[in-house]
Amino acid sequence: MPEGTVCNKKTIDTKEQLDALLADKSGKVYYEEMKSLDVNVDMLKTALKNTLRSRLKTWLEMCAHCGLCADSCFLYLVNKRDPKQVPSYKIQSTLGALVKKVQKGEEITNEFMHYCMDTAWSKCTCCNRCGSYCPYGIDMGIMFGYLRGLLFAQGFVPWELKIGSGMHRVFRAQMDVTNEDWVETCEWMEEEQQDEWPDLKIPVDKEGADIMYTVNAREPKHYPEDIAEAAILFHIAGENWTMPSTGWEQTSLSMFAGDWGACKMQVETVYEAIDRLKPKRAMGTECGHAHRATVVEGPYWVGRKNGQPPVEYIHYVQWVAEALREGKIKIDPDKRIQEPVTYQDSCNYIRNHGMADIVREIMGYMVAPGYFVEMTPNREHNYCCGGGGGFNGMGKYRPQRNVALKCKRDQILATGCKLVVSPCHNCWDAIRDLEEEYEIGIRWSFLKPLLIKMAIIPEHLKPKDE
Amino acid sequence: MFYNKILFATTASPTCDNAAKVAFDMAAKYEAELIVFHVLGIPSRGFSTQVQDVKTGELEEMYDENYTALVKEEIKGYYNGLSDGVDKLKIEVTAGIPYTEILRLARKEGVDLIIMGSHSTDEDVTSTRYRGTAGSTMRKVAKRARCPVAIISRPCTTCWKLFSNIVFATDFSKAADSAFQYAYKSAQAVGARLYLFHSYDLSASYAGGHAPTQGEIEAKVKEAQDKMQSKYIRKMSDYDNYEVAIWEGTPYVEILKYARDKQADLIVLAHHTREYADPEEAVMGSTVEQVVLRSPCPVTSVNHPDMVENK
Ligand code: SF4
Ligand code: SF4
Repeated sequence: MPEGTVCNKKTIDTKEQLDALLADKSGKVYYEEMKSLDVNVDMLKTALKNTLRSRLKTWLEMCAHCGLCADSCFLYLVNKRDPKQVPSYKIQSTLGALVKKVQKGEEITNEFMHYCMDTAWSKCTCCNRCGSYCPYGIDMGIMFGYLRGLLFAQGFVPWELKIGSGMHRVFRAQMDVTNEDWVETCEWMEEEQQDEWPDLKIPVDKEGADIMYTVNAREPKHYPEDIAEAAILFHIAGENWTMPSTGWEQTSLSMFAGDWGACKMQVETVYEAIDRLKPKRAMGTECGHAHRATVVEGPYWVGRKNGQPPVEYIHYVQWVAEALREGKIKIDPDKRIQEPVTYQDSCNYIRNHGMADIVREIMGYMVAPGYFVEMTPNREHNYCCGGGGGFNGMGKYRPQRNVALKCKRDQILATGCKLVVSPCHNCWDAIRDLEEEYEIGIRWSFLKPLLIKMAIIPEHLKPKDE
Repeated sequence: MFYNKILFATTASPTCDNAAKVAFDMAAKYEAELIVFHVLGIPSRGFSTQVQDVKTGELEEMYDENYTALVKEEIKGYYNGLSDGVDKLKIEVTAGIPYTEILRLARKEGVDLIIMGSHSTDEDVTSTRYRGTAGSTMRKVAKRARCPVAIISRPCTTCWKLFSNIVFATDFSKAADSAFQYAYKSAQAVGARLYLFHSYDLSASYAGGHAPTQGEIEAKVKEAQDKMQSKYIRKMSDYDNYEVAIWEGTPYVEILKYARDKQADLIVLAHHTREYADPEEAVMGSTVEQVVLRSPCPVTSVNHPDMVENK
C-alpha cells in the first residue's frame, strides 16, 4: 500500500481531511502507514533540480568534516557528545546522501526516508547556531529547513506538523480558530476590561492606524488575556492601533512542517490585511517564529522582490523598547523587578534578527540595578530553548525533546535566578515543560504582564468611581 | 431574584459535590436551565494536540471525540441521583484553561449565575506551575465573570429558597454596588434578613506604618456609616428587614466572625476591581478567597451589574 489513507503525499486542504487526521489518535495509523509509503523519485529529482540552490549545493560539497561545528550544537552537547549528533554528520547523512543517491540513481528506501525524518525533526531545531561557528558559515539549520520541505512533499512528516500545516490551510491559523471566533474573543476581552480601563478599545479592522497588531492563534484559543494585556499596554501608551479580522494569525507551523505552499497562503493573508487596512507599521506579538515567518522569510515565500513585507513590520520587543525610550510607557522605579532575573534569547529574533541590544535596553528599564543576570552563553550565542523548530509539539519525539531541555535547564540553574523573562511562545512553552519535567522551582513570564504590573497608569485612564 | 440559566462548573469529583447539590436544587426550584460544565484537560506541550487530563495527569488527545463522549457519560452518571426535577440539563466538556473556558461559556450562553466548588489550590493545575503565575480558577472566575458567582465548599443544609440570613460585606467599591443589588434582591425574593457589613481594615493602616489613633478609627467608622446610608439604605425603599454593622480588623476574619454570629445562610461580596495591576496584593481579592475557604455557608461574588439589574 504505497499511499496511505491518512499518511500520504497529499496536503490537507479541507476540514474533513483534517478531522480524519485528528481522529487517528496520536497518529497511530499514520505512522503505521508511513512504513509502507513509497518514495516518488522523479518528484524528488525535479524538486532538487528546481530548488537546490547553489549555496546549499556548495555547502554540501565544501564541508571539510573538520568537526568544528560539533560543540556549537546544543543537541550534541546534551546527548553526551554522540558523534551522530555532530551537525555536519547529521546533514551529510541525510540531505547529502539524498542528493548523491539521486545523482547516482541509487535506490531511496523507505527506511532511509524515516532516518531523514527522524533526523530533520528530532536532531535539529533549526536554531542556526552552528552556522556561526563553521569557518565556512555552513548553516545546518537552513539546510534542514530545506530538507524538511523535500520530506513533507513525500509525505514523511511528523503527524502533528501535518495537522499544523493543515490547520493553516483550512483555518489560516495554526489552531482551529475561525475569524468569527477571533473577533468574538476580541470583543469579549474589550468587554472584560471596562471596569478597570473604562475607555479601552480593541479596534478591529480600523483603516490607516499607526500599528496593525498580529498574534499567535493560541492567544484567542487558550490565553485570551494575552490579547487583553496587549490592548492595555497600547492603551497606556496612547497608541492608535488595530487588529485585522482576517490575517490576524502571524505564526507558521507550516514553516516547521516544510509545507511551503501553506507558508505562502498564511503569510499572504497577513499581507492582504496590511494592503486592506493600510497601517503605518505592522507589529507582532512576543513570538519568535512568527516574526521569522512573517517578517524574515515571508517576503520570499510570496516572491516580494525587495525581500520586505508590505510595510515596516516590527517585533514586540522593538515596540516595547521604543515605548519605554520615548516615555510612552513609564515604569514606576519601586515596582521594577527586584530579584535575580535572567532573559531567554529567542533564536528567531535575537540570533537571526539582531535584537540582542534592544532586549537588554528593555531589561535596563524593567529590572532594578544589580538584579539582571545573563545566561552563559547569551545574546547571538545563546542556545535554543530546547523546543524550537516544532520540537515542543511532537509526541513521537517527546523523549528526545525532554533530553534537549536539559541544556536550558542547566543554563538557568547556573544563573541562580528563579525568574526567567521569555518573550517567545515557543521558549515559554519549553521552559514551562522543563519546569514540569525537572522541577527546578522557577517562574517564567512574557513581557506584557510584567510591564502592566510596573507601568505608571496615567491619571486620566483610571476608573472614575470610588 | 430569579434565574433562567445556571452554569455549574465542576471538576466532576467529590470536591464539587456540595456545589452540585446546590446547583441541581436551584435549577429545579427556579425551573432554570442547568449547564454542567467540565474542563477535562489543560493544553500542554506547545501546539501539540495533547492535553493534560485534569484528573489523571496523563496526556490525552484533545480532539478525541470518543474520549469526550465517555467523559460526558461519566458526568451524567455521577450526577444521576441529583438530576430529578431538572428538566433542561446540558452537559458540556472541553479542553482548555479552566477559568478561560468557564468565562467563555458563561458569556456565550448568557448565564445568570455560575456555581462552583472552591477548587482548592493544590489540585488546581492552573494555579502554580502551569502558567507560571499564581491565582486559582475560582479567584479568576469570581473576579472576571459578568454574572454572580456562587462558591460552595461545605454542605449547604438550607435550600436556597429558604435562606433567612444574608450577609452583604462591602468595601464600598463600585463593584460592591452590584453585590449589594444582588444581596438585596435575593433577600427580598426569599424574605431573608439582610445584614449590611463593613470591616474597617486595620491591617492595612498598620501596614501603612502607623497604628491608627482611636479618633482616626472613629472617624473612619462614621464615614462608613454615612456610606452605608447613602449607598445602600436609601435604595431599599420600604424594606426594613435589615441591620448594619461596622467592625474593625482584618476584613476576612471579621466577615467570617460576623457571618457566624448571624448564622448566615449566604455571604455576598465583591472582588476589589483594581486587581489587574497586582493580583497578589489586592486586598478584597484575597478576602474573597479567604472567606470562601473558611465559610460554612455559600459565598457569592458579584462584580458587575449585567446579570443583576433586571432580575
Ligand atoms: S564546521 Fe563547517 S566545515 Fe567543519 S564539519 Fe562543521 S559544517 Fe563541515
Ligand atoms: S541548527 Fe542548531 S540544532 Fe540544528 S544542527 Fe545546527 S546547532 Fe544543532
